[in-house]
Amino acid sequence: MKEQQHEVPTKEAQHKAPVEGKEHGRPVMRYGMAIDLDKCTGCGACMVACMSENNVPFKEDESDKLKSITWIRVYKLTNGKPYPDTEICYLPRPCQHCEGHGGHSPCVSVCPATATDYSRETGIVSQIYTRCFGCRYCMAACPYHARYFNWYDPVWPDGMEKYLSPDVSARVRGVVEKCSFCYHRYQLAKNKAYLNGLHRVPEEDYQTACTQACPSGAIVFGDLNNPEHKVHQIVQPDPHNGNKSKNPKAFRLLERLGTNTKVYYLSDREWVRRLGDNYLAHEETGKVAKAHH
Amino acid sequence: MKVDRRSFLSFVIGGAAGTTLSPLPWKLMDDSSIWSQMWPWKPVPPAGEVVYEDSTCPLCPGGCGITVRKVENRAVKIEGKAGHPINNGGICLLGLSGLQLLYGPTRIKSPMKRVGERGEGKWERISWQEAMTLLSEKLGEIRDKGEAHTVAAISGTGYGTVTELLKRFMTAYGSPNFFRSPSMQDTDEFALNAIFRSKGRLGYDLENADYILSFGSGILDGWGSPVRMFRANSLWKDNQVPVIQVEPRLSNSAGKASKWVAINPGTEADLALGIAALLISQKMANKGNISGFRAWKNELVQAYKPETVAETTGVPVETISELAQGFGTAKRPIALYGKGKGVGTGSLREIAAVTVLNALSGNLNKEGGLWAVSQPDFINWPNVNTDQIADAGLNQSRIDGAGDGPTAGIESVLTRLPQKVLEDGPYPIQALLVAGANPCHELPDTKSVKQALGKIPFIVSFSSFHDETADQADLLMPDHVYLEKFEDVTVGAGLVKEVIGLCRPVVSAQFNTKHLGETLIATANMMGDAIAGAFPWENYESCLKETLGNKWDSMIENGYWENGDVDTAAKKVRPAALDAPVVQAQGDVNSFPLLLVPYDTIRISSGYVGDTPFMVKTVSDTTIKGKDGFVEINPQTAAANGLTEGTLATLATPVGEASVRVHLFEGIKPGVIAMARGLGHTAYDGYLADKGVNVNELIGPVEDPSSGLDAAWGIRAKLDKA
Amino acid sequence: MGTLDDKAKEVMDDSAERPGSGKEVGSGGLIILFFIIGFAGSMILGWVVFPKLLYSQKQQPFNFSHALHMEEVDEGCQSCHYFREDGSFNGIPKLAQCTDCHEETNGESEDEALFVEEYVWKEREVPWLSYSRQPDCVFFSHAAHVIGAEMDCSTCHGDHGETETLRPYEYNRITQYSRDIWGKNIAGIAKNTWDSMKMDDCARCHKEAGVMHTSSVQTERDACFVCHN
Repeated sequence: MKEQQHEVPTKEAQHKAPVEGKEHGRPVMRYGMAIDLDKCTGCGACMVACMSENNVPFKEDESDKLKSITWIRVYKLTNGKPYPDTEICYLPRPCQHCEGHGGHSPCVSVCPATATDYSRETGIVSQIYTRCFGCRYCMAACPYHARYFNWYDPVWPDGMEKYLSPDVSARVRGVVEKCSFCYHRYQLAKNKAYLNGLHRVPEEDYQTACTQACPSGAIVFGDLNNPEHKVHQIVQPDPHNGNKSKNPKAFRLLERLGTNTKVYYLSDREWVRRLGDNYLAHEETGKVAKAHH
Repeated sequence: MKVDRRSFLSFVIGGAAGTTLSPLPWKLMDDSSIWSQMWPWKPVPPAGEVVYEDSTCPLCPGGCGITVRKVENRAVKIEGKAGHPINNGGICLLGLSGLQLLYGPTRIKSPMKRVGERGEGKWERISWQEAMTLLSEKLGEIRDKGEAHTVAAISGTGYGTVTELLKRFMTAYGSPNFFRSPSMQDTDEFALNAIFRSKGRLGYDLENADYILSFGSGILDGWGSPVRMFRANSLWKDNQVPVIQVEPRLSNSAGKASKWVAINPGTEADLALGIAALLISQKMANKGNISGFRAWKNELVQAYKPETVAETTGVPVETISELAQGFGTAKRPIALYGKGKGVGTGSLREIAAVTVLNALSGNLNKEGGLWAVSQPDFINWPNVNTDQIADAGLNQSRIDGAGDGPTAGIESVLTRLPQKVLEDGPYPIQALLVAGANPCHELPDTKSVKQALGKIPFIVSFSSFHDETADQADLLMPDHVYLEKFEDVTVGAGLVKEVIGLCRPVVSAQFNTKHLGETLIATANMMGDAIAGAFPWENYESCLKETLGNKWDSMIENGYWENGDVDTAAKKVRPAALDAPVVQAQGDVNSFPLLLVPYDTIRISSGYVGDTPFMVKTVSDTTIKGKDGFVEINPQTAAANGLTEGTLATLATPVGEASVRVHLFEGIKPGVIAMARGLGHTAYDGYLADKGVNVNELIGPVEDPSSGLDAAWGIRAKLDKA
Repeated sequence: MGTLDDKAKEVMDDSAERPGSGKEVGSGGLIILFFIIGFAGSMILGWVVFPKLLYSQKQQPFNFSHALHMEEVDEGCQSCHYFREDGSFNGIPKLAQCTDCHEETNGESEDEALFVEEYVWKEREVPWLSYSRQPDCVFFSHAAHVIGAEMDCSTCHGDHGETETLRPYEYNRITQYSRDIWGKNIAGIAKNTWDSMKMDDCARCHKEAGVMHTSSVQTERDACFVCHN
């Protein structure tokens, strides 16, 4: 189908809707997620959507979960009570895109090859496979086990390489990979924004594959800094308190480490919120002591 | 001039100096590093123009709308279609991994004829002409002998034009033995017939209900239209609708419910009747839609006192009261039945009990309630002009006896077929056609199924994949995968409204496969006027367009046709078999002290389509580890049997035996062990085969005498340390 | 050792006794000569022979004259190289772009005849060799440069749009990439923008244009994923 040439907009048209928090005149975004654990059914659609979107490889035996590559992984939690008071909860764990203090994510701080980097403009921790030489220091540093190593060369059996997406580089063995918040979709959305003369990428144009696939609508993705985005409204992060959520149902994983993550979890159930961090018996839920640096 | 050592050395040094000052080493280093990042076996998919094409996913009865992202005409991602009436953008993990079904080593790439013994896996590629000739000749032989009725056909679904074409073929040919794979459609039709005395199916207006009482239905484990159920569940959460899940195991559905009621397996009907009795005795019942209410209500109240029910079900009296209160006082309560995915749960007593409970709440055909709706009837082809041979064949009784006695309103009881074949009664089956089904893995009592297939001299599989049944066939005539073809996808699955999705070819056929509709039309045309006459269409596509008539335009444009204005098929419930005996689990309690119940999970596909490699990856390592499958067991029961986490054990039931590992889980009733359905494949490829145990090897069908349907909810078992 | 030392001394004494002998001058000269030979040889090898061996040449399937076509179309480069609706750039046009005019041959040229017979009528895409294709790890956004920065096509592609012939496609045997990417000049010195298109070249131009953002924590430059994937 032949497309007609698109009208190229003027420079004036490109500057629109500036929002709070600027860096060099450009708005600072913090892309993050809110995952409602009371809606999450543990179906695993997010896991498969991510695998399909990002050319994630697979092997014949995936039962060794230490070696199984799942950028987003759904964990099963339990309240530890015996039958019949047992309760379960599923928790999808993508890369948390930790910010730490001003961009010092644990993994970014240790990478000797500058293969992983924190972007102050979007808040996304990127992983560039061509620079990575597989030392796995980042895997040791990540508190969330969110990083995976390609122990083997990916094998695409019998024509399956035809379904690979050109937007995401396929990896070879010896390289670490992790959830990227689908930033290839951000790249494509920016293309579209340029064409339409928009300075910022609209909320609906940049959504991660897992968010899009979730049949329960448990995952919400967007710019945590932008008050118009759903995720901001749900999470209400407090920039004066290390971006802790003002929503009493919300918590982040291992908050006391000070990783300042961008994935917020919501649950009505206190036992679930309590599992989000290593609480000492006397500590109140939602109030953990800060780690000593 | 003599070249001595020093000259040579200076030559070398000069060379080294020159090399260093030339770009050679630096460029080579740079280029080598680039080369090492771009190994030739690393795929670089070509970029290009992106288009999205809509279709419908037929991999389960759910009927979700999908949209396929294509780059340069290559399908790269399947996504849920936003705005679709069933899934609105959501999609399950099977639908998402459909591209792994399109490509891959399990595809049957061309028609094949078996060489060597069955099961050896030796095939010879033949042409479609040869394959259809072979099929028509073989079938023709049987027909000429006047034995047309000895040919049986199995279809994975009971809906759609292709199924109708297969049925039509069987009719014109002269065999009454058309079967379909067990599904929720069986219990639906049966309920309509036995309890509503009408024809049709059931629909549940879940989105508008305000109290959900589920008797083991896998709300989040694959019941009905799975994505629709997930969305309904989120809606319930948003609106704080109570959801009560009644089952012996803490499934995902129970885990997300407001309350999990742990019940003795197989006693769901008793609980339903107990609650019904309480509703009646506490004057919370609406008798409007029930005929003969006065006659049996007293009996019911007497027979199902809370204490009696508590004794049978293991549910405390307070809980029974609580449930009755909740259900009785809610404005729009609804009760669901059909354990797990609702397959093979044909206990009439259970169906009747839950339907009566719904009727007592007065929710029949109302907002938020249970609806009895008519089946889709858009396939209106002229009747087949059967010839004498066909008539003679069609007059023979069905081999499974469906349509007689308790199975009066039922089209097929596939679970009876293996036993009948093994008994040779009333007549032996000489040929079997299998389309969109995998009975060697899906049907209970796998051993008998395989033995039965061994007795059938000619088996044809239309499967697209090298599944267990295809492995036992003599002739393979592979159908396209859904992404390669046009087809109508009728959605029943508990929806109230009528939806027909259009499956559309998103890529051209990747291999030498043929649309089953085409194969049937072409083969019919090779078999003489009597049969060819029933297939006046030139090809399948014209048949489909003609059949869909004025729905076609809407379907081409939107991808589906929807009718929210449904005709109700029935208005009154006629309770039946409320005092029928409970369907028991096979085995005696002394030799087999534990109860094995199978469970369904959305991550493991247990029907015709096996798990894709992506799906297998999502299965936890306490379900499969290496080749071993796990059973879930309460830690108390495990301790009593000397079992610890991960121990290898032998699981034995009256039907079979298997080696399993043990996983301790508090979320299961003591004395009950649970195993996931859908594992233990022996065919397909290394990504799916040899993982876990097929629970169908351990459980056989148990027919409910009141319904004739398989109602096995489990089997007695014993677990010994290996 | 004693005897050997004596022998050595003898030899040295010998040569010391023959000043101005041709052999002495020759050995020093030989050393220098061989050094020069080695040096010159390796320099020639590195600067002349190496590029010839490293780069291989392929011809395009047939010749396409940009100059000729520019006369025929109305919108310049964008007539055939345009943005799609989703903001992506179409790159080298597909057959459908050409068949509007080339269902039949329009002129007398052999190239056109070959095109129409072998490709249009057989409905085969022409396997053009792309001079500017970046490696898989690079995400280059035409939208950002052409629309955002309002750059002209020739800034990066030179006078390609005015050529009458398509130059041969040279590619690096080791990396398999076009010579335009890895550097026309073997020393990596680029006279024009299109002589070398590696990351350093992109960075240089970004710096000159003053669009060097500092959002990256590691490098204080732009975030990696803006251009990589």
